[in-house]
Amino acid sequence: MTRETLDVDVLIVGGGPAGMSAALRLAQLQKQQGGEPLAVAVLEKSREAAAHMLSGAVLDPSALRDLIPDFEQKGAPLAAPVHSDQVHFLTPRSTIPFPIIPPPLSNHGNFIVSLNALVKWLAQQVEAEGVDVFTGFAAQDVLMDGPRVIGVRTGDRGIGRHGEQKAAFEPGVDVQAKVTIFCDGVRGNLTKELLRRLQLGAGRQPQQFAIGLKELWEVPADRVAAGTVMHTMGYPLRLEEFGGGFVYAMPGGQLSVGFVAGLDYKDPLFDPHMAFNRFKQHPLISRLLDGGTLVRYGAKALPEGGWNTIPQPYMDGGLIAGDAGGFLNSMRLKGIHLAMRTGMLAAETAFEAVRSGDTSAAGLRRYQERLDASPVRAELYPVRNVHQAFGHGLLAGLAFSGVSLLTRGWWPADLRGEAGHDRMRMLPADADRSSHLRPSNETPIDRRLTFDKVTNVHYSGTAHDEDQPSHLLVHTDVCSSICGPEYGHPCTRFCPANVYEIAHESDGTPRLQINASNCVHCKTCDIMDPYGVITWVPPEGGGGPQYNGM
Amino acid sequence: MILVIAEQRDGKLNRASWEAIAAAQALAGELPVKAAIIGGSVAALAAELASAGVAEVLTVEDPALASYTPDAHTIALRAVVESASPTFVLMPHTYQTRDCAPMLAARMGRALITDVTALSGTGKDAAFTRPMFQGKLAAQVKPLGEPPFFITVQIGAFRADAVRKGGNAPVTPVTVSIDAAAVRQKAEPPFQEAKQAVDLGQAERIVAVGRGIKSQEHIAIAEKLAAALGAELAASRPICDNGWLPMERQIGSSGQTVAPKLYLALGISGAIQHLVGMKGSRTIVAINKDAEAPIFEVADYGIVGDLFEIVPALIAELEKN
Repeated sequence: MTRETLDVDVLIVGGGPAGMSAALRLAQLQKQQGGEPLAVAVLEKSREAAAHMLSGAVLDPSALRDLIPDFEQKGAPLAAPVHSDQVHFLTPRSTIPFPIIPPPLSNHGNFIVSLNALVKWLAQQVEAEGVDVFTGFAAQDVLMDGPRVIGVRTGDRGIGRHGEQKAAFEPGVDVQAKVTIFCDGVRGNLTKELLRRLQLGAGRQPQQFAIGLKELWEVPADRVAAGTVMHTMGYPLRLEEFGGGFVYAMPGGQLSVGFVAGLDYKDPLFDPHMAFNRFKQHPLISRLLDGGTLVRYGAKALPEGGWNTIPQPYMDGGLIAGDAGGFLNSMRLKGIHLAMRTGMLAAETAFEAVRSGDTSAAGLRRYQERLDASPVRAELYPVRNVHQAFGHGLLAGLAFSGVSLLTRGWWPADLRGEAGHDRMRMLPADADRSSHLRPSNETPIDRRLTFDKVTNVHYSGTAHDEDQPSHLLVHTDVCSSICGPEYGHPCTRFCPANVYEIAHESDGTPRLQINASNCVHCKTCDIMDPYGVITWVPPEGGGGPQYNGM
Repeated sequence: MILVIAEQRDGKLNRASWEAIAAAQALAGELPVKAAIIGGSVAALAAELASAGVAEVLTVEDPALASYTPDAHTIALRAVVESASPTFVLMPHTYQTRDCAPMLAARMGRALITDVTALSGTGKDAAFTRPMFQGKLAAQVKPLGEPPFFITVQIGAFRADAVRKGGNAPVTPVTVSIDAAAVRQKAEPPFQEAKQAVDLGQAERIVAVGRGIKSQEHIAIAEKLAAALGAELAASRPICDNGWLPMERQIGSSGQTVAPKLYLALGISGAIQHLVGMKGSRTIVAINKDAEAPIFEVADYGIVGDLFEIVPALIAELEKN
């Protein structure tokens, strides 16, 4: 079939903070330096800008300040400046507050934001500069000419659930570009493909991830002062498990409540969503939420591995920015400013390369040089071992963090980490393997404070056309053979949206049922499946969550 | 005066016509409400409408109107509207209305406000609420220009049983000559695509089954109950995902939204995705073994018990009468 082609100079895949910053920076450079106008396009799979944006979040405004110095006059939606930080070590019933806030968790000068609101505003700035943002277009495949990236193919539209073409069938478009900047987010499906095909991770450590679950609540306006930032560790996680909770207070009684769990837990019966519910049930948190209303729910993975896990971010015809490259400071728990800054640096590199005519890897290597000379390396290099230290447990992680603050990150050798899904242990030989394994951290649901996954998914606003093929590809048949006895079907537990269910045939054989339309695009399954046989690809463009206010 | 255009097919009034009359009565204030019905032969339907608390029933009968065509209907409706000179013309927002109302309003050069979900005020100063951008916004709209103003009301937004019935209105035939040359369409015999066997939106009573029915064979008992009640059979998502009932019978956020007079939920837990599809039902009865099931939060009558005991008992009682 013949596909339409669209030719641009720079194609940006992904309309998050990295992609939008790249687009805006390109427009700014164009204005500053004049000359032949650059054709720039942004592809974004969500139906409207920022609909898939979810984060805690506390924003370090440094990159925003560099990108848009007059951001305050332009009405950047920064919900509240941070006024107070609290850090708690939770025990099952009580809390031990940290008397001193560890410097990385001190947020003086930072802002509590809704990433959805921030990116919506960034999108307006981008569109005001005349850059085309194509929402509702999912990038399915990288177009390559040998080792050179020449663009991206968008997904076909109008395919029915058995692969047949429906009346509204439209083939995807081949968008060809001199430089493609991949900002497809944590475990981005295209970046994953590039890592595999071009071995961009060679010589780097394996990438590591966590899952973040978040809810937006409305409580009485005077209950928590706007600008309050709370972080917790300890309960409900075991010492060997990475993660913790957060509460960020915005004006008008809006609370962002969330929980992060490392996707490297050993217990196959662990359920991150249950941990989030337990966190909410802890008296420190439940007293904040009592009588409040759940407004929205969502989940997304985070790249935690740090500097040593970032792949080579440049290649012939391509660059990688934002969470897709793993540019997140897991010690400060911040990635938005790094997404923005890497997006800006990628844009500067792409602009130069297109103008000079050299968009090969040699020409685009300037990106790595820019990163190394920028606050990105200055911030991420000293904390390159922190997440790997937490791989040895909470105490080791905290001890190492303390030491590395004193030594400014110096350590005789780099700590090695491993891919999280490889750490999952099999069920012990004497485990009950009946068909109804319960999560090891199960807690009762009351539907006022805590919710089951299906109810939570309703509050994510996620919607997909039902009549399309499943976008979760499971490549082998472990589900009906070895996964049950070995791991007890962990996909039914680590997916925060109840996409995976195990049904049983009449003879008792397990059968995987995929409720693809529940998917909130968090990528946890692609990351955490112990056999590594699940591949997430984008569903038909426009589908997914509706993260207003998240 | 407010004129309600009722809709019929094959001699049966579309239930949504009553909703349009209810809306008209709410909108009317001091203004009288009249009804109109057009078709091949509509005497019986006109008689039905005559006791709907309206001041007059206007009819147009013509062989050209026996089967729906947009041109013939628009010509006839225009004649009726022009002869009656109403301030507002109300129609239910059905597929048929969506097909001819725009042409009708455009030919007369009058405002058309569609898919109205609520009214505020009455009479000439009323404002109409309608959804925009797939329900992301609700807009309050007032028509501009000269009457008549055409309004279509969203199905289910007004309750059919809120109609203040009564009276015995005169039935006035309106003569319209429909020039065959002006009708550019020829109606083919209607057909149903093989899979679309049921329109749950029209059902007055629904018996719905969920996971609690346990197996496909047991659905038969729900079918018996539905038959005894004169109800349609429906299901929650897991039943349709298993292929035990076709997708058209699915109720919920990824299926149909219904608001029947009676909704019987058998073995349905009441996940929120299902509730949003049926909580507008007039009376909800739930049967479930789990006393904590969320369905009981919306049910008017709940029985905590085994549906395999209760349903046969219900069937037996119904068959007695």
